[in-house]
Amino acid sequence: MRLTELLGAEVVDQTGGSAGRVHDVRLVQDGPLIGGFGASLRLDGLIVGRRAVGARLGYERRKMKGPLPVRLLFGWLHHDGRYVEWERIERIEPDRILITGSVTDLPQPGPST
Amino acid sequence: MAGRILEAGLHLLDRQLIDKDGRLAGKVDDLELEFPSGGGPPTVTAILAGPGALSRRIGGRFGAWLEAVANRLRDGDDQHPARVSFAVVKGIDSAIDLSVPKRELETNRLEAWTRDHLIGKLPGAGDAPD
Repeated sequence: MRLTELLGAEVVDQTGGSAGRVHDVRLVQDGPLIGGFGASLRLDGLIVGRRAVGARLGYERRKMKGPLPVRLLFGWLHHDGRYVEWERIERIEPDRILITGSVTDLPQPGPST
Repeated sequence: MAGRILEAGLHLLDRQLIDKDGRLAGKVDDLELEFPSGGGPPTVTAILAGPGALSRRIGGRFGAWLEAVANRLRDGDDQHPARVSFAVVKGIDSAIDLSVPKRELETNRLEAWTRDHLIGKLPGAGDAPD
């Protein structure tokens, strides 16, 4: 599987409710060892939202630091940003990811390091 | 101890690859993810770089054309994009540092093909210094 098969895909629940599209993929370096890199990067979850503008700047993650006006603007734009843990992914289809449960109970994305 | 947390798009995509000698060796255009044999979430196993990987991100007719050109300019029936195993990644910062020289990487294929098949055939090409 390629990363770009996940980016941009729409995340939907069993009832057809949409949480928006995948803006980024969160990785945690605690997977099996891979050569000189050490622990590999494990896919932890998906950062999803309805607005793509500024998503690559990181302002949809809570506690993101930066100039106050920019933080407020993108914080408002991305207030509907949600986090989908890998365990909630039911099926990956072309341009569509089906999750278990409801999109309404997805948490907001936490900060990265 | 919890591992380092990264975001693939924010911290990896489009980052410069630097080989062990400090030479520019391409950019991160995509990542290869593999599911472990024992089950569980996928892990990142390789960096994909070059036109063959970038074409998927561009999409549409131009992306398909770019992928076809990239495939045409490779030797043999090799259709996959240039792949750099994550085992040779030394560090991730504003750039991705690798532990091997550029000449050992698949990202060097297009450059090597152009050198051997086009530039090397020009009159006087043999006079150029290494």
